[in-house]
Amino acid sequence: MDKPLNTKLLIACRQCDALYDKPLLKQGQSAKCTRCGSILAERKVNSIERSFNWSLAGVLLMLPAILLPIMGVTLAGQFHQASLFDCILVLIDRGFFMIASLVFLFAIAVPVVRLVGALYLTYHFKFKKLKPSLLNFFRAYHHLDNWAMLNVFMLGIVVSMYKLLDDTELSVNLGLLSFILWLISSTMASSTLDQDYIWDKLEQNFPNENHVASDVDNDHANS
Amino acid sequence: MKTMSQAMLIMTMQTAKKTGLALCPKCQKVNVLKAQPQQCTRCHGKFYQRKYNSLQYTLAWNIAALLAFIPANLYPIMIVYQLGIPKEATILSGIGEFIDHGLYPIAVIIFAASIIVPLIKIIGLFVLTYRTYTGIRLKPNKHSRVYHILEFLGPWSMLDVFVVALMVTIVELGFVTSVAAGPAINYFTLTVIFTMFSANSFDPRLLWDKRSETNIDKKV
Repeated sequence: MDKPLNTKLLIACRQCDALYDKPLLKQGQSAKCTRCGSILAERKVNSIERSFNWSLAGVLLMLPAILLPIMGVTLAGQFHQASLFDCILVLIDRGFFMIASLVFLFAIAVPVVRLVGALYLTYHFKFKKLKPSLLNFFRAYHHLDNWAMLNVFMLGIVVSMYKLLDDTELSVNLGLLSFILWLISSTMASSTLDQDYIWDKLEQNFPNENHVASDVDNDHANS
Repeated sequence: MKTMSQAMLIMTMQTAKKTGLALCPKCQKVNVLKAQPQQCTRCHGKFYQRKYNSLQYTLAWNIAALLAFIPANLYPIMIVYQLGIPKEATILSGIGEFIDHGLYPIAVIIFAASIIVPLIKIIGLFVLTYRTYTGIRLKPNKHSRVYHILEFLGPWSMLDVFVVALMVTIVELGFVTSVAAGPAINYFTLTVIFTMFSANSFDPRLLWDKRSETNIDKKV
C-alpha cells in the first residue's frame, strides 16, 4: 500500500466483496460489479421527490386498504364480508394467535412502518430539515427490508378468490382496489428511495469527526 | 478460454477483505477494519467483516426449518366444517382436491409455493453451506446466482398461510360452512420464517473468499 486509503473514494460489492473506485454516476445510471454482476451503486432519478410522493400516496391509502372490506361471499342466502383488519380480529377471536400475529406483522405492521418511515425520511430531505437522529432512523429502516409481504398477500387474495368462485357468489369491494393501489404505492416508495444518496447526504451533514480522523491516522500507520 | 479469463479475474480481483477494509451491511460504506465488530463511521452501526458465524447460523436455521417442515405436511392445515361435519385437509391433500375440481392453475401455484419453494430453499442452502465449507466444485458465479434466487423466493411460501387466513375470515357462515386452520399452519409458518432467517444469515461473499483461497493453494 503506497498511498493512504481514502475510504470515501472506494466502494465494495456487497455480494462478492470486490473493491472498486467509487464511480461518478449521473441520475439514472447504475454500476455493475464485473465479477459477480450485481449492482454496485445506482443513482435514481429524482429520488427524494418521487419517493416522497409515492409514500404520501401510500400513507393516504393505508386506512382504506386496511379497513374497507376486500371481498364478500354470499352462500345459502347469507352475506359475509371481510377487510384486512377483520381478518386479524376473526383470527384472534377463533384462537389462531400465531397466524393472526404473523398476518398483522407481514401484511400490516411492516408495510405501514416502512411507508411512514419513508415519508418521514423524505419529508426531512425535501424540506432540508436534516437532523442527526435520521442516521439511526434510516439504519433501523434497513432491518425491515425483507419482511414486507404485501405482494404475497395480494397473490393470496387472488388464489382464495379463485377458490371461492367455485362454489359461492363472490363480490369484490372497494377495499380490494385500495389494497392494490396501496401495494403499488408502497412498492414504488421503497424502490424509488435512493439509499446511497441518502447515506451520502447524511454523512456530509453529520460527519463523525473523531472516527474520520482516527481513520486517516491509522492509514498512515499502516502504509 | 472463458474459464481461464474468469479464473484470472478472480485471482487478480482486489477485495475489501484483502485490503483490510470492510463493508458496512447497512449503509454500504467502506470502513477500515480495526476491530471486530467494527463501528461504521457513517451510520454508527456495529458490524463484522463477514456475517457473524454465517455458515453455522445458516445450517442451524436450516435444520430447524427442515424439522418444522415434517409436521407441517403431516398435520391438517385446513379444516372445513360443512353442516357441522369436519373435513380435514393437509397441504398435499388440499392440492389433490384442487386437481379433482379441475382448478389446475391454483394447484400449480399452491404446490409451487408450499412444497417446492421450501424444499428448494432448504436443499439449496444445505448445498451452498456444504460447498462453501469444503470448497469442492465451488463455482461462485453460479452459486451466488442460486443464492439470489433462494433469497427472492423466501417470502412467497407464506402464500398458503395467507390463503388459509383469508378463508378462515371470509367463509364464516355459522353452522352452514366455516373454515378453521389446522395445527400444520403453525409449523408451516415456522418453516418459512426459519428458511428466511437461514437465507439472511448466509453470506455470499464467503463463496468468493473460499474460491480465491483454494486457487492460491493450488498455485503454491
